[in-house]
Amino acid sequence: MEDTKKSQFRSALREVKSLPTLPGIIAKLTRMAEDPDTTTEQMGKVISKDHILAAKLLKLVNSAFYGFPQKISSLNSAIILLGFNVIKSLIISSSIFELMESQDVELWEHSLGCAVVCSVLAKRLEVSDPEEVSTAGLIHDIGKVAIKMELKQEFEMLKQMVHDRHISMFDAEKELLGVDHAEVGGWLAKSWNLPAKLVGPIAFHHNPLEAKDEQLSTSIIHFSDILIRGLGYGHGEDVWVPPLSKTAWQLLNLTPKDLDEIIDEVEEKLWDVKGFSLEIQAELESGMTS
Amino acid sequence: MQQILSMQAAEGMVLAKDVLTADGRILCGKGTALTTTIIERIRKMDISFITVEGHPVQVEGEKSLEQELGDIEEIFSRVKHVPPLMYIKKRIMQRKAESRKAS
Repeated sequence: MEDTKKSQFRSALREVKSLPTLPGIIAKLTRMAEDPDTTTEQMGKVISKDHILAAKLLKLVNSAFYGFPQKISSLNSAIILLGFNVIKSLIISSSIFELMESQDVELWEHSLGCAVVCSVLAKRLEVSDPEEVSTAGLIHDIGKVAIKMELKQEFEMLKQMVHDRHISMFDAEKELLGVDHAEVGGWLAKSWNLPAKLVGPIAFHHNPLEAKDEQLSTSIIHFSDILIRGLGYGHGEDVWVPPLSKTAWQLLNLTPKDLDEIIDEVEEKLWDVKGFSLEIQAELESGMTS
Repeated sequence: MQQILSMQAAEGMVLAKDVLTADGRILCGKGTALTTTIIERIRKMDISFITVEGHPVQVEGEKSLEQELGDIEEIFSRVKHVPPLMYIKKRIMQRKAESRKAS
């Protein structure tokens, strides 16, 4: 593949014209979350103006995925219980979620599963902001969605390469486009002005060594991606467990006993999430017929 | 053990996990055999899925244990030289076999 073609791909992906922008409400809420004078009611009011977003948010909050012990039925109590920053993460998740859900159910399940592993690991390793790590896990493959939407023809070729040559999507992307979904996802996250804590892990989830400031969270996402693939949540014909980064493995420092407990906990949670997924699929199907 | 939509619940199925209400109380304990009254109650509470013993609902295209273990071999086929990942593979295979035995 000539270099000119590759640079064309790069610029097309950098612009990502066909990808929807994140709802303006996120920018607004980010500003509000930073302002110490913002009250819960004000924030609740802004969110509830977008009915769909509000409903999605409550659904996500109450889903097995977040596993809060109590049912949270109002936006205000969600904000009080979870705090502004968590709500912001949730809004980012639910918006991007919707995009992924409509584009690619399998990728969405992989991402949801990855986020489950991330939340288990983040709590175990006592990171300061576990919600943010799960959010990063949830959207780590957003670059794949961008490639699929922006370069439709090439995406078909990539799938064909995976099918014919049994190579991973990552390797196919590098070969055909000269850039991979992690890098593309990093650009996208940056262009959406997502916090650096999300951009880094997305951009370097295949190569945690290069994530400078976000090495621990990037390593968590890197390993979660591996474990969830091991549990059978891959993407299309690219089913394989990718290489494990030594840096990440050393940083996580998990013993066999840790791994046993993590797998136990993840499977238990996935069991509930699978129900959540069943539910959404049933909803999608009933929506199509009615 | 199988997870089914509460719409698919039928009389005689046995719960493999507690059914919880939205606020976390146990509506119906593990081991309960479902009756029409219980099923009604579960549906009325807006509980969308439950876990039952065995494998009462046939899903199209479902794989046998041998096929599933073969899939796991394939998934890990490229990381055979990485000990921690081989450990994970072994555990996942053991769990898969155990879960089938229980049903």
